[in-house]
Amino acid sequence: MTQNLYKNLNVAARNTLLALFAGGLALLSYAANESASNKPLVLTGIAKVAPDKGAISGELMAHSCAGCHGTLGRLGDESFVPLAGMPVGQFVSSMVAFRDGKRPATLMGHVAQGFSDAEIRAMGEFFAAVKTEGNQP
Amino acid sequence: MNALNLSRRQWLASSAGLLAAASLPAWAQTPAKVGPAHIVIIGGGVGGATAAKYLKLFDPTLKVTVIEKNRIYIRPYGSSEVLNQHSSMDDLNVSYDALRSNYGVNFVFDTVTGFDPIARTVQTAGKQKISYDRLIVSPGIQLMYSAYAGYSEQVANTAVPSGWIPGAQTALLARQLQGMRQGGTFVLAAPPNPYRCPPGPYERPALMTEWFMKHNPTAKVIIVDPKDSFVTDETMMLGWNRLYNFNLPDDYVKKMRDKVEIKQHAGTSMISWVRGKDGGRTLRIDAKKMTIETEAEVIKADVINVIPPMKAGQLAMTLGLADASGWCPVNRRTFASTLQPNVHVIGDACIADAMPKSGFSANSQAKVLAYTLIEELAGRPAPEPLWENTCYALAGKDYGLFVADVFKVIDGKIGRVNTRARYLALDAMPAQIKLGARYQQAWLRTFTQDCFA
Repeated sequence: MTQNLYKNLNVAARNTLLALFAGGLALLSYAANESASNKPLVLTGIAKVAPDKGAISGELMAHSCAGCHGTLGRLGDESFVPLAGMPVGQFVSSMVAFRDGKRPATLMGHVAQGFSDAEIRAMGEFFAAVKTEGNQP
Repeated sequence: MNALNLSRRQWLASSAGLLAAASLPAWAQTPAKVGPAHIVIIGGGVGGATAAKYLKLFDPTLKVTVIEKNRIYIRPYGSSEVLNQHSSMDDLNVSYDALRSNYGVNFVFDTVTGFDPIARTVQTAGKQKISYDRLIVSPGIQLMYSAYAGYSEQVANTAVPSGWIPGAQTALLARQLQGMRQGGTFVLAAPPNPYRCPPGPYERPALMTEWFMKHNPTAKVIIVDPKDSFVTDETMMLGWNRLYNFNLPDDYVKKMRDKVEIKQHAGTSMISWVRGKDGGRTLRIDAKKMTIETEAEVIKADVINVIPPMKAGQLAMTLGLADASGWCPVNRRTFASTLQPNVHVIGDACIADAMPKSGFSANSQAKVLAYTLIEELAGRPAPEPLWENTCYALAGKDYGLFVADVFKVIDGKIGRVNTRARYLALDAMPAQIKLGARYQQAWLRTFTQDCFA
């Protein structure tokens, strides 16, 4: 989303993200096209920009994890798992197992219930692309 | 800027734009030149600090200014641990230095006295006039000391502390509790809904019960409550049942006994809970006689801790952001005030439906707002908002519990989307309960970092 965050992404992961975002953006552009044909484009404040239902953003959702798992998923020596740099497959399988009760948890099962498969994957893609330098094991 | 947004949207909507857009993510494209917008944030608590940090994290070119009264933030979360000597007052102090040096956030230490929402300027007691493009207000709470006869801020500062906004009253309460005579009575008056930190008025007496068992084993702890239930009630009282020989009210025993063994203890527990339906609502405080009068009785106490009813912080009143309820109505997606233009209200002061008034909520609201503002300033559509809250709480220093929720906008209101479970399982293993306590301690650190560093 921003140049600053962009600097924090691995090159390989960035390329994956680029490809993944292409799909997402096509959808987004479609939404913009829809609204362009139906509504006047008056942009004076957020309320008017925000559509009735926005697209999901892995990044926006991922920041809600940071209250425990650290900003951008980066953590030092703490009781929570750092999420920065976690491979997408590991993030997705963990969250799905939490959500479906297949992996014992204290509270992650409850949190995971709040997310769809697509939302979990989108968050996983965000964290996978964050460089792990900030993790201090 | 509007013209720029417009042309960018038209470009996106064109078929050529579709192709071009598909080749690069929005954040990898040359950013639209919007000029460094100035975002002013009033209030440097959890909501304001997090908003400032994430705005600069997302876009270092933005100009972000926080206007805050105090040079040091005293964190309320975890502040009850000063009372049981687990933390010191100094442990509650949080510096703004990291936000200034690591993120380039400007700080103005001053008191806001008013604003002009049309000219977009804020006035301060120090006669400063600060212009903004967007204003975020995170006013926190104020305590309505006068809600109870005989109670006032002056009484709270000198004899019957509240400490729900931490500071000198916290230190006074700690001295009173730790110095209480052997066999003395500690009464805590819990607040009516809605209030900051839902499990907090129950964690505090639980921690003191644990402390008294060691240092003052004949002491009594009485919670008087205008409510009949509270967030985390089942798991909190199950902890008291196990740790402090507390007998749960019959209706709770009936609700819970199929899921978990509840002990019936002979004799009385050190801790008791007087509910609203049993006359637990506070009416009057007599600081000279050290009595608290509820609907049911007059209790002679040695230490009284009143957590009074609350409303949005004074700042919200000064700026005309609160309605008759005492809280600030906002658009549920953008947290834009519905009473004043170009102002966003986050944190405990805003009306956020199912989201509790907690630090975690304020932090989550701040990030979503920061993201939404950045997208708006860049002329991109805002994504669907999603927020989280986790309130960790302790029934004892090694007994952790929580409420954990995920929220989205549902039919115009903020609602929970994790509909199956939100509390520690009643049949949680001892190891999980202990782990919950370790998570609570870790969270105090990681959360403070996420907000302030």
